[in-house]
Amino acid sequence: MITITINDKEITLDQPMSVLEASRQAGIKIPTLCNHEILKPYGGCRLCVVEVERMPRLQNSCTLIAADGMVVKTESDVISEVRRGILEFLLINHPLDCPYCDKAGECELQDLVNKYGATAGRYKEEKRKVPESRKDQIFARNMERCVACTRCVRMCHDVQGSSSIAMIGRGGHTRMEPFTAESFNCEYCGNCLTVCPVGAILSRLNMHSFRPWQVDKEVETVCSYCGVGCSLIAQVRDDSIKRVIPKLGLGVNKGLLCSRGRFGYEYIGSEERLKTPLVKKDGELVQSTWSEALGIVADKLTEISKVNSGSSIAGIASSRCSNEDNYVFQKFMRMACGTNNIDSVSRTGFAAAQKYFEDLLGQGITGNMVDGLKHSETILVLGGDPTNVNPVLGLSIRQAARDGANIVVIGNAGGLEKFKTVQVVPHVFEEAEVLESLLLAVSKEKGVRGERPFVDKELRVLADRAPKTDVEGFEEAKKALLESGSTSIVMGMDLVQRTDGHRLLFTVAGLTYLLEARLYLLCERPNEQGLIDAGCVPEMLPGGRPINISDFRAKFEAEWNGTLPENDGLTILEMIEGARNHTIKAMYVMGENPAFNLPDSQSVKDALSGLDFLVVQDIFLTETAEMADVVLPALGWTEKAGTYTNLERRIQLQKKVVEQTGGMEDWRIIAELSNKMGYAMNYSETEDIMREIARVSPLYRDLSYNEIAQGNCLWPYHGEPLRGEVNEVPGMHDVDKEYNADFYLAVEKPLFHSGTLSRRSEALMKIYPEPLLKVGGSTAAKIGLQDGDRVQFTTSSGTIEALVAIDDSIKDNRVYYSNNFRSGGVFSVMKFNIDKVTNAPGIEGCEVRIKKL
Amino acid sequence: MENFLLRNIDNPNSADIGEYEKSGGYKNLTRALGMEAAEVLEEVKASGLRGRGGAGFPTFMKWNFAKADPKFPKYLLCNADEGEPGTFKDRPILEKNPHLLIEGMAISGYVLGAEHGYIYLRGEYPAAKDILEAAIKQAYEKNLLGDNILGKGFNFSLAVHQGAGAYICGEETALIESLEGKKGQPRTKPPFPVNVGVWDMPTIVNNVETLSNLPLIMEIGGEAYSKIGSEECPGPKLFCVSGFVEKPGVYELPMGTNLKDIIYKHCGGIKNGGKLKAVIPGGISTPVFPADGIDCAMDFVAVPKAGSMLGSGAVIVMDESVCMVKVTYRALKFFEHESCGKCVPCREGTDWLRKILERIENGFGREGDIELLLDVVKVMIGRTFCPLGDGAAGVVTAMIKHFRNEFEEHISTRKCKLSEAN
Amino acid sequence: MFNDTVINEINEIRAKYPDRKSALLPALYVAQREFGWLSQEAMESVAHALNLPAAFVRGTASFYSMFKHKPVGRNVIQLCTNVSCMILGAEKLVDFLKTKYGVEPNATSEDGRFSLVIMECIGACGTAPAMLVNTDFHENLTEKSLEKILDKYK
Ligand SMILES: Cc1cc2nc3c(=O)[nH]c(=O)nc-3n(C[C@H](O)[C@H](O)[C@H](O)COP(=O)(O)O)c2cc1C
Ligand code: SF4
Ligand code: SF4
Ligand code: SF4
Ligand code: FES
Repeated sequence: MITITINDKEITLDQPMSVLEASRQAGIKIPTLCNHEILKPYGGCRLCVVEVERMPRLQNSCTLIAADGMVVKTESDVISEVRRGILEFLLINHPLDCPYCDKAGECELQDLVNKYGATAGRYKEEKRKVPESRKDQIFARNMERCVACTRCVRMCHDVQGSSSIAMIGRGGHTRMEPFTAESFNCEYCGNCLTVCPVGAILSRLNMHSFRPWQVDKEVETVCSYCGVGCSLIAQVRDDSIKRVIPKLGLGVNKGLLCSRGRFGYEYIGSEERLKTPLVKKDGELVQSTWSEALGIVADKLTEISKVNSGSSIAGIASSRCSNEDNYVFQKFMRMACGTNNIDSVSRTGFAAAQKYFEDLLGQGITGNMVDGLKHSETILVLGGDPTNVNPVLGLSIRQAARDGANIVVIGNAGGLEKFKTVQVVPHVFEEAEVLESLLLAVSKEKGVRGERPFVDKELRVLADRAPKTDVEGFEEAKKALLESGSTSIVMGMDLVQRTDGHRLLFTVAGLTYLLEARLYLLCERPNEQGLIDAGCVPEMLPGGRPINISDFRAKFEAEWNGTLPENDGLTILEMIEGARNHTIKAMYVMGENPAFNLPDSQSVKDALSGLDFLVVQDIFLTETAEMADVVLPALGWTEKAGTYTNLERRIQLQKKVVEQTGGMEDWRIIAELSNKMGYAMNYSETEDIMREIARVSPLYRDLSYNEIAQGNCLWPYHGEPLRGEVNEVPGMHDVDKEYNADFYLAVEKPLFHSGTLSRRSEALMKIYPEPLLKVGGSTAAKIGLQDGDRVQFTTSSGTIEALVAIDDSIKDNRVYYSNNFRSGGVFSVMKFNIDKVTNAPGIEGCEVRIKKL
Repeated sequence: MENFLLRNIDNPNSADIGEYEKSGGYKNLTRALGMEAAEVLEEVKASGLRGRGGAGFPTFMKWNFAKADPKFPKYLLCNADEGEPGTFKDRPILEKNPHLLIEGMAISGYVLGAEHGYIYLRGEYPAAKDILEAAIKQAYEKNLLGDNILGKGFNFSLAVHQGAGAYICGEETALIESLEGKKGQPRTKPPFPVNVGVWDMPTIVNNVETLSNLPLIMEIGGEAYSKIGSEECPGPKLFCVSGFVEKPGVYELPMGTNLKDIIYKHCGGIKNGGKLKAVIPGGISTPVFPADGIDCAMDFVAVPKAGSMLGSGAVIVMDESVCMVKVTYRALKFFEHESCGKCVPCREGTDWLRKILERIENGFGREGDIELLLDVVKVMIGRTFCPLGDGAAGVVTAMIKHFRNEFEEHISTRKCKLSEAN
Repeated sequence: MFNDTVINEINEIRAKYPDRKSALLPALYVAQREFGWLSQEAMESVAHALNLPAAFVRGTASFYSMFKHKPVGRNVIQLCTNVSCMILGAEKLVDFLKTKYGVEPNATSEDGRFSLVIMECIGACGTAPAMLVNTDFHENLTEKSLEKILDKYK
């Protein structure tokens, strides 16, 4: 225990910290400039000087570690004089252009100068002149205003790990610059903006468009892009979002954001938003009214359910919609339409994996705190690049690496290039063998655990196989796993999208089990977890309760006042097949774009065009909506309230920030329809729905918005017991794989885009404007490709033309293309095989030919 | 006193290991390896050796701290950055007597339990790099470096790391940063390098000359060594004298030799019979002595008492033809150029001081400029991250203290008389 | 990017340190030798060879004044003008270089023969004024001797 006295106040510290931190803890303010809570102390500005008894000169409080018995004074005439002097020094080369500077009003230098009354009046020499740079699309750089505190660089290097900027030069001529001195060409997290105390780096999204004191309101809410669920503040003026910023200490992200979260908000104000319902007349979608459109939908669905039975109707839910939306949606499908055919695109990744793991290892196995990553000794990363899919989660991996953790990467993961300790890149067709061998090696050392009979049994089966260990890095990877006292496994969804995906998942489950590891599933969309919790999977009711267990059925039937449909529901790919062979007549799509977001999208389109009736509820006229008979305009992020459950299983509140006319909340549209169809739903606000969920779902038992708003509700918050593993998981089966192509096509998950929302965000489009074919160095060398070459690449189902970008972090013969841009995504040329166990599409064997144009 | 540090230096092959061995070289390493490390450390303690890099810190104490730290590996870094203007004392050792340094480092490594050494050599000495590397190679060939040295079970690797033109890299924590591939900007202390140094390991940084004293201590014993020169800081010292003396150069003299004697006895007095005006006793960063202030023993105790510092022992002698305003201006230009930019008082203070001095020197001084200089200095002194900023401020203070009239004259006459005369 | 010989050389340097970052300064010297100066490509090559962020490489490089941050002439005169050299006439030599060879401080003569870099102390104060031409020391300079010395550098 350390006791120190600051300004006559005795303070007891429970852990070592600097005098500055101790003061902060005691509520005593010491001025700082180079210090920032997120960053390590630097000690450059010297504003934080204090007097310490029995120490000769003034001390820097930010770097001085509090020692027992220290007596500190934070204000005195001498100290004030020094601070005034330092501030005067800072102003001598400062342009003093506050009236023009966007930072004015939230500038730390301005505030300090106001407090200590410094001026630069005695400085008669020339100031350093550096013209403002607008060579970057997103950032303006004004190095005259820079106080060289290096906060931005420390943020970029020590926290973000992008290391895209540096202090260039020495002494008074030091200025922050990106490598090329022009475009930042970085991860565009904008976290440097957060820490710059002055107006030296500014966002060009809102240049000169408002003053910090001119915002009408600031609303604390959650990001709409991915499953990390970062907290952020939306600043609003004139009913439109002017800026998105993080808040120190808040949420999972604690003051950090990624490019999508910070700069991707513009889609919500896009001109292309749907404002009125549309109805197809003579093959054309034309504007309609709510009453007409809802009438058509209600009549048509009623008719089909009567004539053909409920099981000819299918519903696709959305991982971009809230828990409330999804809950109401599945209830509607089951109770009003009479079908269990309800699934989502998440089945092609997260939902499939989540179900498999929970079946094997019990409910909740995939929900772990992001923060836990930082405390790992070894982190195994496979199936995707966490730093792209879930950027802020990726930061914790980088942090762990900096703190000395082993980062074992299987496959490609560009964002960990400078952080990995070892990388194993199995051939496309050998992934399962290599991973199984790794599992086998671990299980040999660890012995039988004997807690999960199915896993133990399968491990014994595996033991008979000949291991494949002659891959570079294998031994090192094995060693890192075996020697680790605290392991995390971070799995991306590429691993699910394999013809033998279940075998890969089994190895992950086995490693999780044997190493007692924390398992993290990368989660591209914001509510993939909540979607499952809400019951938007055919086989499970809300709270992950299997629908075929009669106790659960009975309970929900009582709560919901009716009978649940008998038939087993279909998964999404089965629904598409159903549409193709006309067993599915009608489909209701809420906030999803299956005609674009499912592999082999052209054939999905063909299948959908065979439907009798297609309803799409969305905020944009998507590829799927264009095919619909009725399109219903919904409300989006910041326009409505609702809860989202992130990949940790943390339930968070998204708030309404702006008014939008034209659309309606997803749940409200559904409820109105349901009422029209004779199944009563009486919700007047989202909280009503949450009250119901809190009653029926064991995972969300007794939760209220008040509690959720605290931000620390991870289910099962009120201690409801979780479901154990399922004992009859289908066993593993061999999959014939005969691949011998030169190159394989894979899906790029770009940092700057997500689904199809981001293509309507101007800023993100500026950063990454068109899809590029990403090829590794060896691939490029093999066919003589250069950065910027135009190529044509062809698979068995189509051809796409694109520019080439060489990416040395791709270590094998995969080439990557994204599925985010309007011009046609990679899914349009990818065929798949279904994995029988997970029902997810396997797309790894997509052979591709590349021709230089 | 017979030369030790500069022994053999006139021999054109002095850098060759054979020549070095001929005059007893590496015997002292053998002697040290025959003793317990703790015994050798006792000799160092008895010798009273103090660091020659500028601060005069007792070497034994520093080593003791490093030895006390349980972490391994430990690193021994030789500070061969020799950047203090006016200093050229390490260069003859590096270029002419590299084996003395190598032997000294091997002995030191043995005492400290450090198995890896690096010589951080300033970029401005390209010739020394080749010479050192050749010498190191010879030493490896004779198993005076490397594994199991002379069969005594002691391993010591040594490599040269070349700086690239940054004065601040002479500061030990900046040197460490630079060796780690970063900008050479000083680190916060504590933790001190002896506990958390290069690659976060216990690290000992010593000057070339300091380490080169080790063979001598082994040769004559700590006790005898402590009898050389001043009582409180014994040993031989290299003084490098430049400017207006008849015989500038590097002199190996007992510590505590009087500055007056250095100038008049050893260096033959003021050049061309000129009149002495001022002496900077320990390199540009040390406060100037006026002509009547040079009756001073040159060691780490007496010089501070007389109002300056021994620094690197770089004596710059100026006669009446030298304009002190110009010297001050040039010195500040240096500090501004070399300020690493980390802390505000130094970065902005040196910039401002230089600008005012430039103006005064060029005849554009204003009334109140002297007060302004002193005000700016006040914000700097005691506030900068490392001694570089303090040094810059101290130079201005001392110059104004002793030569205020020259500053005033520049301002009132709006010109520099001496520059015009030249 | 570097060829294999250079990559090997850098790998050898790297082996001298427990941490790849520490090889940065020596690797930058190598890049400077290969490219003549630290162009963007030179720094990118170093970043690539050592798996370091390019911006970090540039940040470090920009700190050190002996790295060439722009193209230089065939011969680089590094003339000291610090106090000991200044008081013994270094500034006159700067003027002399200007008039005689047309080379300004921190610039290159039109014929590309000389670049002039003004140095802080180069450790030759006892033989001031002094300079380095490329890697050779020349001391006790006068206008006359300077002319003679420079004759050797074409
Ligand atoms: C700005 C500055 C520059 C320095 N330059 C040098 C130098 O060039 N050579 C040197 O040996 N020490 C230099 N020092 C001193 C070192 O920090 C350190 O004290 C010294 O290397 C310790 O060695 P010693 O104990 O053998 O003297 C410098 C210190 C400062 C503050
Ligand atoms: S936006 Fe992020 S990645 Fe880009 S420079 Fe700023 S901190 Fe670095
Ligand atoms: S740009 Fe901002 S954060 Fe970066 S060094 Fe300058 S003032 Fe500090
Ligand atoms: S990491 Fe995910 S939740 Fe966080 S800001 Fe980025 S996209 Fe949004
Ligand atoms: S906050 Fe301590 S020096 Fe800047």
